[in-house]
Amino acid sequence: MINSKAIGYITANYAGTEASKLIENRPVASLPFMGRYRLIDFPLSNMTNAGIRTVGLVMPGNWRSISDHVGHGKDWMLDRKSGGLFCMPGNPYGTTKRGMRFLLRDIISNRELFERATTPYVVMMGANIIFNMDLDEIIDAHERSGVGVTMVYVKAERHHDDASRLIIGDAGRVQSIEAGCEYGDNKFIDCFVINRELLLDIINNYANADYLDFFEAIAGDFARIDVCSYEYKGLAIGIFGERSYYQRSMELLTPDVFDQLFQKDRPIRTKAHDAAPAKYYAGSNAQNSFISAGCKIYGTVRNSILSRGVIVESGANVSNSIIMFSCVIKRGARVENAILDKNNVIPENTEYRGTPDAILVMGKGARH
Amino acid sequence: MSRKQCIAMLLAGGQGSRLGALTAKIAKPAVSFGGKYRIIDFTLSNCANSGIDTVGVLTQYRPYQLHEYVGSGRGWDLNEIGAGVSILPPYATQEGGAWYAGTADAVTQNLDYIKSHHPEYVLILSGDALYRMDYREMLATHITNNADLTIAVMPVPWEDASRFGILTTNEDHQVTKFTEKPEQPDSNLASMGIYVFSYDFLVNALEEDAINQRSSHDFGNDIIPKALADGKRLFVHEYNGFWKDVGTIASYHETSMDLLGENPEFDLFDTKHPIMSNDSTRPPHYIGPDGRVDDSLVANGCKIMGTVRHSIISTDCVVGDRAIVEDSVLLPGAVVKNGAHVSRAILGENAVVEEGVKLGSVDTTKDTAVVGNDVVIGKGE
Repeated sequence: MINSKAIGYITANYAGTEASKLIENRPVASLPFMGRYRLIDFPLSNMTNAGIRTVGLVMPGNWRSISDHVGHGKDWMLDRKSGGLFCMPGNPYGTTKRGMRFLLRDIISNRELFERATTPYVVMMGANIIFNMDLDEIIDAHERSGVGVTMVYVKAERHHDDASRLIIGDAGRVQSIEAGCEYGDNKFIDCFVINRELLLDIINNYANADYLDFFEAIAGDFARIDVCSYEYKGLAIGIFGERSYYQRSMELLTPDVFDQLFQKDRPIRTKAHDAAPAKYYAGSNAQNSFISAGCKIYGTVRNSILSRGVIVESGANVSNSIIMFSCVIKRGARVENAILDKNNVIPENTEYRGTPDAILVMGKGARH
Repeated sequence: MSRKQCIAMLLAGGQGSRLGALTAKIAKPAVSFGGKYRIIDFTLSNCANSGIDTVGVLTQYRPYQLHEYVGSGRGWDLNEIGAGVSILPPYATQEGGAWYAGTADAVTQNLDYIKSHHPEYVLILSGDALYRMDYREMLATHITNNADLTIAVMPVPWEDASRFGILTTNEDHQVTKFTEKPEQPDSNLASMGIYVFSYDFLVNALEEDAINQRSSHDFGNDIIPKALADGKRLFVHEYNGFWKDVGTIASYHETSMDLLGENPEFDLFDTKHPIMSNDSTRPPHYIGPDGRVDDSLVANGCKIMGTVRHSIISTDCVVGDRAIVEDSVLLPGAVVKNGAHVSRAILGENAVVEEGVKLGSVDTTKDTAVVGNDVVIGKGE
């Protein structure tokens, strides 16, 4: 069913807090993930799987890759007459400040999206903490509780510099939001539901604080606004930099974990391509790996994630690595503990090796 | 606006009864092939790659999944405004309605569709073979010869010629004789069932055929012989590339296996002439810690925990721990449970082979084992 209760708002302009070759030429939101996806696929799919058909997408300054990937939103059923996908301007420098995902200025400058909507609620999401959630459940919980804002959190499973923790009081009321997260804290997963009329009030009343994050701006007013919390028990994967990107990807090399993210009844949708099924040749040897369509495997692959169109030639060996679109690992070459961004060619009989603690990262190669 | 040069009519209504269990619930053009494709993809991709933007898809037998799959034609970039794919099932009129009685009748019943586009030429196709062809070359042959009808042919081995519709030509490639399955062939040019008609000729021929009580309303049986008898200009367009019918279990299995190996004659990876499909966005396949895949195609969404040799594993299949799949084709969603052993078999969509069950035989003198869609094979079956 088309969701008549909520529209969506996604911020794709989180710029990360650490430099990386992986995000030199692309926003975090369009980082390739698990072979064929990009991070932005997750918030888009969560929303459309809940029947939301009006989504505002706040674009980063370097929006080329997002625009190429998302287009008019047809792969998420968002190319529509009524509603659909609205790509909207955002702060071009991105939200680099720690914990900041919902810049008030971006919300204010795109107020038309909220003014035109007729739904009672707005669901807001970032793009660097990913999950596969039944959003309907959260919208329903929000509606039942009658509060102004419902923030979704998980119990943090590790230390995070760049996530926020919720201090929660009686009846699940959020008392404050603090920067940083330790094991067991209530980690905000950059997902919340807000009453649309309330959001419009905030837009009107807090305009002079527009340089702040949305939650910073309203920090003194939590009780009046009635900010509540909702614990999500599923898997939520935060991608904050190279290290978390690599580690979280590797953790998904377990079908039980993977299946929490990729569920058939709530598919993660992405831009469709016409790659042939992956082809294995005589003598190939791949184990414990995710291998995308369009790959050709002659050599050995272990504990790795291969994007579309990767070629592993005979005698080549790839292990504990993430290999992005269209890379070629030539005959006899060895790649270990590495992330190869797209279009890289590893020459014959060469080695490209990092260690588990120091992953080697190779930026985008030249198109070949 | 200039007159449209050529539109295609794709005959997709046949039952494909020789595919047995595979077409029990689904039309032949919608049968899965090559891991992620459906048989109609090859013809629709040929259309798109030939710059044809208007394709009428004539459906009849169990059309629901075919209709859903073809949809707006978007998967093949055939969702053009005022053109694109139109799905044409049989319909009723004030005079009543009727099923499509033959290939020619199916087109006759859709003459209004053709007339509404008023093209100069009409390409007639069927959606049941694996080949890559640039129809523009065939159209050029047709125009150069100032033909009424051009028939695509391919040379077949002489000993096989008596299994085909054979066209005999003069030195100008003009057709002098057409014989269906001749006992004593005098030519080895077999009709591929691909025709280019000039518009006026097609309309006249079909309208005459429609009122001919003795006609079976078939292009091969009726339209072509009548055109020859009337002295019309019929030519052949010779095609020498890869072409395989996938209309029987044996040919389906053999053609599937032909996709494997180092340098297959029909290469799914050829990007100059891509095979497009209505892709489902499923995650990459996972191959487990003890998984082993050799000389195979594996589509997205699969989980391979056991061993796969010389096989095609389609979207969302599961091969369990210690299971073995060899020389087989698993259609989308098929499951081979732990310890099962599947040899030289075709498993239909969502078919299940239960734990420890042995199915099929590597003995090539035996028939390929076929399991229909949604069928569960347990012990002792």
